[in-house]
Amino acid sequence: MGILNLTKRGVAIALSAQLVLATQAVTMAQAEMLGTEAAINKYAQHSDRSFLMGELQREDVRAEIVALGVDPAEAEARLAALSDAEVASILAQMEKDNAGADIIGILFTVFIVLLVTDILCLTRFFNFTRCVR
Amino acid sequence: MPDAVLQLHPLRALIYRLFCLLALGWLAGCAVPFDRDARLSVDVPTRAFVPDVPLIEQEAFFCGPASLAMVMQWAGSDVTQDDIAALAFSPGAGGTYLADMIGSARRSGQLAMTLHNYDDLLAEIAAGHPVIVFQNLGLGFAPVWHYGVVTAYDFDRDAVFLNSGQQDQMVMPFALFDRTWARGDYWGLVVLPPDRLPASGSEIEILQAAAALERVDAFAAAAVLYQTGAARWPDSWLWYFGLGNARYAQGDLRGARQALSRARSIAPDVPEVRANLAQVRSEL
Repeated sequence: MGILNLTKRGVAIALSAQLVLATQAVTMAQAEMLGTEAAINKYAQHSDRSFLMGELQREDVRAEIVALGVDPAEAEARLAALSDAEVASILAQMEKDNAGADIIGILFTVFIVLLVTDILCLTRFFNFTRCVR
Repeated sequence: MPDAVLQLHPLRALIYRLFCLLALGWLAGCAVPFDRDARLSVDVPTRAFVPDVPLIEQEAFFCGPASLAMVMQWAGSDVTQDDIAALAFSPGAGGTYLADMIGSARRSGQLAMTLHNYDDLLAEIAAGHPVIVFQNLGLGFAPVWHYGVVTAYDFDRDAVFLNSGQQDQMVMPFALFDRTWARGDYWGLVVLPPDRLPASGSEIEILQAAAALERVDAFAAAAVLYQTGAARWPDSWLWYFGLGNARYAQGDLRGARQALSRARSIAPDVPEVRANLAQVRSEL
């Protein structure tokens, strides 16, 4: 009984120590430099946003937006309100649907317009967009 | 993107030019005119010309290495097509794979970034940068894969000018160039020394090209490119983070500390920056 208790205790202590060490290892115990490439992949989202903003500046995209009766400045403001994760998922969806297609320019335009119209409650293409009306 | 291999048959060096001319003549006959307004979404000058790109006559099968040598010699390097071929050419395939074009440029310490449309292609030429393009000079069912270097274009004369591995410059009408480039999936490659930035490409694409230099251990070139990028995007900490890492990899701890401190002053809360800065300080 005593021995069994001791063993249980020992196992518990060993396990919790391991757990603590494992979590700390991620934040503390670092023997080498963290790579640039991983950081770019992790933090590139703010630039995904500027990419989308850049697409909104395109003449053909603006013309489509204006034709729908939307003020492009309002479209930009709405895009700025999306979270990084939402921006990332738009781009992921674009990439998926663009794979193998030669008409990237057209599809991009369609995506940007759909994004704007989604936000304005005219369409519901992206599943995370919140309708403002 | 086709993992295709290019280049002509060894004994066809002579026939090649003839075939080219035949193919070009035939294709030109049925080509739809190139619609500049539909194909471009940015304004580019009516004509542009990159001076001083050398014409290098390619050795058999070496249009890939020859193209890279032309672009790198234009930038001041004295590299030869044989030097590049040692890094890029696949003898068994009788050509140079697209990925090896990119990789060999990076292993030679150059910024290498692909582009895939006319906006970017013509913007680079207008900025004074030659662009390597992957073309099928034949037909879909009978491909003649080829790499050439676009050095100029002129909408008024309806001409794209290429240094194409022959003695003379190759001149193609836009519609014909478009067909040959479309069959190469619009694959283009900008190769620049790391102290110059391409006119096309987003900040992230250029950052990734710089990080790729680190991956092939071209740390000095990577450091130069990170500095060049930091001058262009001074508010972005990733350039200084990369600069710190590239300097660290070269054993320059003080330089690394300086760059990482700069990154931290721009982005105080990023754990990667803090961790690397702490690591460098612990070694100083």
